[in-house]
Amino acid sequence: MDGVIRILRRFVGTTILVSLLLLLFNLVLLGSLIFKEHHKSPSPEAVVQQIAYGLDQRHGKYVLTHEAAQQLKTNRAWAMLLSPGGKVQWSERLPSEIPKSYDVTDVAKFSRYYLMDYPVFMWEHTDGLLVLGYPKSTYGKYQFDFLTEWLRSLPIRALLLLACNVALALLVSVLIGTRVIKGIRPLIQGIHALSNGDTVQLDTKGIFNDLSQSINSTSRMLQEKNEALKARDEARSNWIAGISHDIRTPLSMIMGYASELEEQPELSTEQRQHAAIIRRQGERLRSLVSDLNLVSMLEYEMQPLKLKTIRLSVLARQVVSDFLNNGLDERYQISIHITDESLSVRGDERLLYRAITNLMQNSISHNPDGCKIELKTEAAGSSFNLFVVSDNGKGIPRERLADVISLPYASGRIRSDLQSHGLGLPMVARIAKAHQGELILASDSEKGLKAVLKMPASLYLNEQ
Amino acid sequence: MDAMKNKKILIVDDEPEIREMIERFLRKEGFFRIYAAGNSVNALAISKLEKPDAAILDVMLPDGDGFSLLSSIRSFSDMPILFLSARGEDEDRLLGLGLGADDYIVKPFLPRELILRLFAILKRVYAANVVERLPVFRLGNKTVDLDSAVVRGTSREVSLTAKEHAILIKLYENQGRIVTTDALCEAVWGDESFGYENTLMVHVRRIREKIEDDPSNPVFLLTVRGLGYKLLTQESN
Repeated sequence: MDGVIRILRRFVGTTILVSLLLLLFNLVLLGSLIFKEHHKSPSPEAVVQQIAYGLDQRHGKYVLTHEAAQQLKTNRAWAMLLSPGGKVQWSERLPSEIPKSYDVTDVAKFSRYYLMDYPVFMWEHTDGLLVLGYPKSTYGKYQFDFLTEWLRSLPIRALLLLACNVALALLVSVLIGTRVIKGIRPLIQGIHALSNGDTVQLDTKGIFNDLSQSINSTSRMLQEKNEALKARDEARSNWIAGISHDIRTPLSMIMGYASELEEQPELSTEQRQHAAIIRRQGERLRSLVSDLNLVSMLEYEMQPLKLKTIRLSVLARQVVSDFLNNGLDERYQISIHITDESLSVRGDERLLYRAITNLMQNSISHNPDGCKIELKTEAAGSSFNLFVVSDNGKGIPRERLADVISLPYASGRIRSDLQSHGLGLPMVARIAKAHQGELILASDSEKGLKAVLKMPASLYLNEQ
Repeated sequence: MDAMKNKKILIVDDEPEIREMIERFLRKEGFFRIYAAGNSVNALAISKLEKPDAAILDVMLPDGDGFSLLSSIRSFSDMPILFLSARGEDEDRLLGLGLGADDYIVKPFLPRELILRLFAILKRVYAANVVERLPVFRLGNKTVDLDSAVVRGTSREVSLTAKEHAILIKLYENQGRIVTTDALCEAVWGDESFGYENTLMVHVRRIREKIEDDPSNPVFLLTVRGLGYKLLTQESN
């Protein structure tokens, strides 16, 4: 809706600007094309003035300068000098029908209009009145009379005219604009709906029918693509689930017989050790297979979350206790730092337990010489709670941080020898994502790794 | 334990190699009345004819799934059933257990684990004629009798309160291992036990007064700072 008004405003503004430019253009054109003739030669006033100045009395005779005479010639005009008494004292190229004497009435008459149809122009000369006559029908003479009041208000009137023009332009542009917008609005709504991923079915009538058809077909195409993607994700997830299922039976046999051999007293120690290696590798394969399945389900959002309110402190103590109960090496020191017992998140208990276990296991397996590991719960504002697992071990080079949470073998990921099978941290990142949270890693080489699990907070029993 | 070994065990799995392997492990453990079936029809026939005492069922079978087989078996028999499945998803696990299976093992498995779980099931079901008794164990020169909820010293006998009793049971079940305060609170006060940590501390102190020679320097009921408690027993029966 906002966009529509913006478009209308732009449209109106542009229209007015165009109108004004057109007006200006017309004025310029008017000046340069229509009135250009006026300035082609010197005006009659200039000519008569020049002649008046060029006419001198010398030794009782009037002499016209050469330039003035030339001027007369080029204009095919004639000139005469009337004495104060009305007699012609001097003349040049004077047509024969022009009288030689005038009274006041005659002068008053021709001074405004024509003398015997010759357009005439006057100039005051020291010895009387100089009259310049042009050939018949070369000049039109009109008399204009204005009230001074009217003249004075002329700028305001001009301004008013301009304002009226602007108002008209505005009106017309708004009218046209709204009409166009009415046609565009469904298109805009359609495109917005497209960006939201909704299905769009526009009316294909009207001036923009080809556009609406395009939008409709784009929507159809997007829906089809989405469905295809979903089907592919599902197929991929099922494929991985199928493979991990099929691996389990042969793996059962390998692990079963290997562990039986391991316990055979009649075998040599070396042979039993070999059996133990087979059994242990089988167990590794088992955990890899189940990790793979879980990661693929998380990746394609096929994992249903069993959400409940979980206190982070309970989870922290549980994870650490289990690590200690399962005989954690003494080289690793674990500490817990809980700021607030009641900090809790809504999540899948099993997945969160898995995530934190993975983070701790990550610190342990990347620091075989031992390190200090700290688990910490923190609030980050009112809507997020953090679970932080940090160690003072080797850390990960900063430029590889983004790399370690992407899936192994994904395009662009460098295969690293640091990771056992590389699913630990990617899995944590996906578990966080499945909970609308995120995994933030911070590290500097030799300064340890800090993994922050950021999860939406749960409103939880503060009444207790 | 030996009484268990003459129980009849039915193995149902569509993979002959898995059947053979499990049978081999069971025989090695001393079981000798073992039946095997590769599909539901055979499994049902054997169940009706031989009346086995326990069954190990696969979930995926060529002619149906183990869950419906379990339902069919349950219509005429109450024998304990252990699922052994390649399907490890929680839903399957919960479905199996919800239908009345006694345990659920996900493939691949270690034979030792299977045998231990089978024994646990058999013991639970067929040793029921023996009255269930809570354990009695020694801590130094004192004996903790959880069954009658008393601590017997050299000279006198003190009784345990209900809460102390519940705490000790939970600790004894996990002896030698850390039990978090949260798990203890939940065992005593139930799910909504947030905020009982201090009360738990008081109870633990009282328990120490009863079982420890020097309650200020405990040697049996240890505090694991920041996590919980751990019960160390010298001997148990």
